[in-house]
Amino acid sequence: MLNSLYVEGDSRLHRLPAGPKLLLVLLVSLAVFLTRSPPVLGAGAIAALGLYASTGIGARAGWLRLRPVLLTIAVVALATVLLGSVEEGIVALLRLTTLMLVAAAVTATTTVGAFIDVVSRAARPLERLGLVRADDIGLAVGLVIRFVPEVLSRYDVLKQSHRARGLRLRPTTVLVPLMIQTLKAADEIAAAIDARGIRAHKQPTENQERPT
Amino acid sequence: MSSRDLVLAALFAAIIVALGLLPPIMLGFIPVPITAQSLGVMLAGVVLGARRGTIAVLLVLLLAAIGLPVLSGGRGGLAVFAAPTTGFLIGWVFAAFVTGYLSERFVRSSQGAIAQTAGFFVAAVAGGVVVLYLFGITYLAIVSGLGFEKAFIGSMAFIPGDLVKAGVAALAGRAVMAGYPLLPARA
Repeated sequence: MLNSLYVEGDSRLHRLPAGPKLLLVLLVSLAVFLTRSPPVLGAGAIAALGLYASTGIGARAGWLRLRPVLLTIAVVALATVLLGSVEEGIVALLRLTTLMLVAAAVTATTTVGAFIDVVSRAARPLERLGLVRADDIGLAVGLVIRFVPEVLSRYDVLKQSHRARGLRLRPTTVLVPLMIQTLKAADEIAAAIDARGIRAHKQPTENQERPT
Repeated sequence: MSSRDLVLAALFAAIIVALGLLPPIMLGFIPVPITAQSLGVMLAGVVLGARRGTIAVLLVLLLAAIGLPVLSGGRGGLAVFAAPTTGFLIGWVFAAFVTGYLSERFVRSSQGAIAQTAGFFVAAVAGGVVVLYLFGITYLAIVSGLGFEKAFIGSMAFIPGDLVKAGVAALAGRAVMAGYPLLPARA
């Protein structure tokens, strides 16, 4: 149902750890705003395209994946040409396209697991401040992935019950039972998590009896 | 944060993701398809309140960032944060927070149905329209070089639809509060 956008492969970018790759995206996002020169930005865009192609995603899949984002970039670039100047439009187009390509290359070469490791590691300092528990991030991500198909099948049941009663689907008559049914499961799931002690080892309010 | 709060936020994130995958539901009187996940963002604030609603939205964005196609139209990956409309995605977080915060302030279980619905509507408009567009338009103005005024005019076409969504969020939020209240009470 929820397939990741990771592309199997063994390119140089695949072998690079996730942390440096995210740093690359960050640096590119800053670098494209350092210059306004179309030739420099154009060269950057071509390099980014080369990087995206090096992931081995293939022309067709690579194009389909980026089409929606590219469309909004094109619309805004066109609006900038019409309302501002041609140069401004080209600069906006090249900046965002470059960034989009580098970002898509990183997404295609990094597994969900590798990302979660990086995010959890990045959250450790926040954990020390008591803002977040790093292990909760992976747990929550897993829960969302697990429950999306469940929500969709609940929606199907609601659609069928509307049809059986000859009712038209209306936002409130669908959304309200969908939310209540889904959220009512929370108590059971939370009890299951606590019963398995998945989060217990770091619960500060509980007795620290278990050696860790 | 209790396990229950964590699970509620995760379940709501799943609802927001599902809203992006479902076919649009048309409202009877206006031809506005109710697909958009921005409705889910308002609902997160209205139903779960500020803290859990914000976490639900953060989870959706995290899933998108780590390469899952969870945004409407099957979009996902880091590339969606390179679009001129990225400001609206970032704005989701603050929209859910403001909607939730105001809902907790305005709506009480002792109020009548109309007062509750009105409170939720004001909260959803303030968070899901005013705050959301503040982020979206500012970002659009900066990255496109269009300037604030033109970016605002370009985005105005979407505001009526979002006001309708705020209305739906208010009605649905009120009904959930009546059926399965989750909104934290604030004095």
